[in-house]
Amino acid sequence: MNQRALEGVKVLDLTHHITGPYCTKLLADFGAEVVKVERPGGDPARRMAPFYHDEVDPEKSLLFAYLNTNKQSVTLNLKTEKGIQVLKSLVAESDVLVENFAPRVMPSLGLDFETLQKIKPGLVMTSISNFGQTGPYRDYKAADIVEYAMGGLMYIFGAYDREPVKHAFNQAQFKAGTDAAAATLMATYHQRLTGEGQQVDVSIQEAVATGLRDVVNNYTYSGAVRRRQPNHSGDLSRIRASADGHLLPNPGLGAGFSWDSLVEFLGLPELDDEKFNTPSARLVNAEELGRILDDHFIKQNKYDVFYASHEKRFIFGVVQSPEEVMADPQFKARNYFVDIDHPALGTLKYPGAPFEMSTTPWEARSAAPTLGQHNQKVIGEQLGHSPEQLSQMRANQII
Amino acid sequence: MSAPLEGVRIIEMGQLIAIPFAMKMLADMGAQVIRLESTGRLESYRGDSVYQNDISGEFWNKGANFYEQNRNKLGITLDLSKPEGLAILKELIAVTDVFSENFTPRVIKNFGLEYEDLKKIKPDLIMVSSTGYGFYGPWANYGATGPATEGAAGLAYQTGYIGGSPVMAEIPYTDYTSGEHTVFAVMAALMHRLNTGQGQFIDISQTQATSSTIPEVLMDFSANGRTGQRMGNQDVAMSPHGCYPCLGNDRWITIAVATDAEWQACCRVLGQDEWAADARFEDSLSRWQNRNELDALIGPVTSPREAHELMRALQNAGVAAGVVLDSKDLLFDPHLKERDFYEVITHHDSTGIPPLPYAGRPWKLSNTPAVKGKPAPMMGEHNVFVLSELLGKTTEEIAALEESGIIGYGPTIPRPVQRPPLDEQVRQGRMQRYETDFEEQVRKAFPA
Repeated sequence: MNQRALEGVKVLDLTHHITGPYCTKLLADFGAEVVKVERPGGDPARRMAPFYHDEVDPEKSLLFAYLNTNKQSVTLNLKTEKGIQVLKSLVAESDVLVENFAPRVMPSLGLDFETLQKIKPGLVMTSISNFGQTGPYRDYKAADIVEYAMGGLMYIFGAYDREPVKHAFNQAQFKAGTDAAAATLMATYHQRLTGEGQQVDVSIQEAVATGLRDVVNNYTYSGAVRRRQPNHSGDLSRIRASADGHLLPNPGLGAGFSWDSLVEFLGLPELDDEKFNTPSARLVNAEELGRILDDHFIKQNKYDVFYASHEKRFIFGVVQSPEEVMADPQFKARNYFVDIDHPALGTLKYPGAPFEMSTTPWEARSAAPTLGQHNQKVIGEQLGHSPEQLSQMRANQII
Repeated sequence: MSAPLEGVRIIEMGQLIAIPFAMKMLADMGAQVIRLESTGRLESYRGDSVYQNDISGEFWNKGANFYEQNRNKLGITLDLSKPEGLAILKELIAVTDVFSENFTPRVIKNFGLEYEDLKKIKPDLIMVSSTGYGFYGPWANYGATGPATEGAAGLAYQTGYIGGSPVMAEIPYTDYTSGEHTVFAVMAALMHRLNTGQGQFIDISQTQATSSTIPEVLMDFSANGRTGQRMGNQDVAMSPHGCYPCLGNDRWITIAVATDAEWQACCRVLGQDEWAADARFEDSLSRWQNRNELDALIGPVTSPREAHELMRALQNAGVAAGVVLDSKDLLFDPHLKERDFYEVITHHDSTGIPPLPYAGRPWKLSNTPAVKGKPAPMMGEHNVFVLSELLGKTTEEIAALEESGIIGYGPTIPRPVQRPPLDEQVRQGRMQRYETDFEEQVRKAFPA
């Protein structure tokens, strides 16, 4: 029997909302033992849409259900002395602590790294925040749109002559969550080798600013400031409308394909011209090229073009709706969507493994926990509190 | 203090971003990454965005994105179409911990470089393949770019202006999403190997990694059978939540208001007391219901304000706001400066590129920081080092490999991309503007 990749890694999860929970979801889904500490009212993500059948209920947020698979939930009021005391007992049992409060919160609760390291020498403490734990913007507030703006991705995103736009939903949060999971494992790897712990400071702004191309380096290499591209930029990878949606008719020239082969595939002899047959010429004659391609693809069916292009090994892409994604034969063959049974949601299909590991595969061992589902098991049995003590904590609104 | 991944060796057969970016992150944290290149099939990033747009001389050692994605790596060339070249790669794999690649499965199978082949050479090998759609399945051999997988994953469909077409990031966005997952995956595999001594195969589908970051859409369809509309910059709960014009040419600020207190503060900073008292905007639900009217009111009020000044005023009042930083702002941002986000890297003299700042990492590890940055390798720079130190080849053997073209120091078919002059690029709208004294500005702010 195979072990899980992160077998034996004990994670105390003080995260909420999206970025921190995605970090600990990745750890949990690959086998770490994750105990999620929620405030008595629950992680605010429990109140975030979309909800199952639009029923606004802390156990029916689909976003929460996705982000918290394979975790255990305990509730703790960290504004009470007893709550802090219980939390410290949990720290003593953990290899890793992950949190995504505003940077001033943990120290204000007396839970700074120095204090926690005394309780658990060798602790890895990962903090994810909007702008990092230091610097002049440390205490600035943010939402995903602010991170897109301050991370440099938004200025070059959208229509040439309109306001910049961002990706739908919460991409910056997911990026930083993924980065935090990777960095946490780097520190944990070092911990396993040396016994040493450390602090990991992850900035969402920097997560965005790390993932750019031809932005800062356009300036450092040529003094140019890039902007949102006009519709006809000579860039063959631009999205174009088809009769039934959109596609990305990027041929993948340079990777062994000639312009002539594309002209032949598209059946557009007017492109067999010196104005278009080199990358440099296409940049000069971009507007004319764009018009010819637009007029061509608007008459086509996107999947017909997509499949035909790959027959010839061109690398066209297709824009899929959520419905098309869930019916996609490639995802089906890879069993990407998996059934998970949840007490309040029943059995639903969830996005599954973000990648596959042959020996230690992604697993859905358990659905997202209900609020405080594991109080008895973790605070009671593991920390040795009696049923009476638990009742008292409940009465005092500590759990 | 040593970097956490010291002692981990990685052979990289990467191209463009997905794998090179991920391996750069591991190299930064101490792994020895040996990057394999072909002299016959030039890496695109070596021949594009070259320094000062000057494609004369050894242009292949001057590409911006090559330097961006490949720092701290060793570089060797090998002609894998010749049996001797392939044999050397296998000798290297026999002494490595991780083998990473992002070609299509067809290429890997043709070379006999699948995990099943390689684990015979190195039983505890960790192999990671990153492909557009995954290493198996009906689309496995479909080549892909970042935009293609952004489309396939379902992300592009939901992104765009209200009532408009899908809009995509103007970078290979999913290369990074999948690259970030790749770093995590390799670390998980290294953890498992530390515990058990076992290697394994990691199959990264760039599409699948990206779909894993849009549960809002996929769970809604799965549970409710619903597909939402493109919402521009609007949010499902917050309003105002958008991007508004500021003083100057193409200057913008983002503002996101979550609570009533933030709304009151926002009205104060914008000098609009009457909005604060307006019943249409009195609570978060009514603001959200009237969000189009609200967005239309805000733009004219922000447009005479200087973006950075307005951001500071809003943030000081407790409102989430951020300037839409252009590439120059991002480089000179005082916060990123204070956090040493950019690292100055000194290039080889022969390239003629001065020391330049490059984006660092989104994490800081207090006890085991990143290694001091070295520039990406010049073509074939570490041929001799790798072949002699790692594989024990003699000087004569190395000379013979060079003689027969198995290794080399430049592309066999030089094919640089000449971009139009900058004033032409500005005319076309590709660039917002350019500055001729940029070298001096960069040198002053980021001394070597």
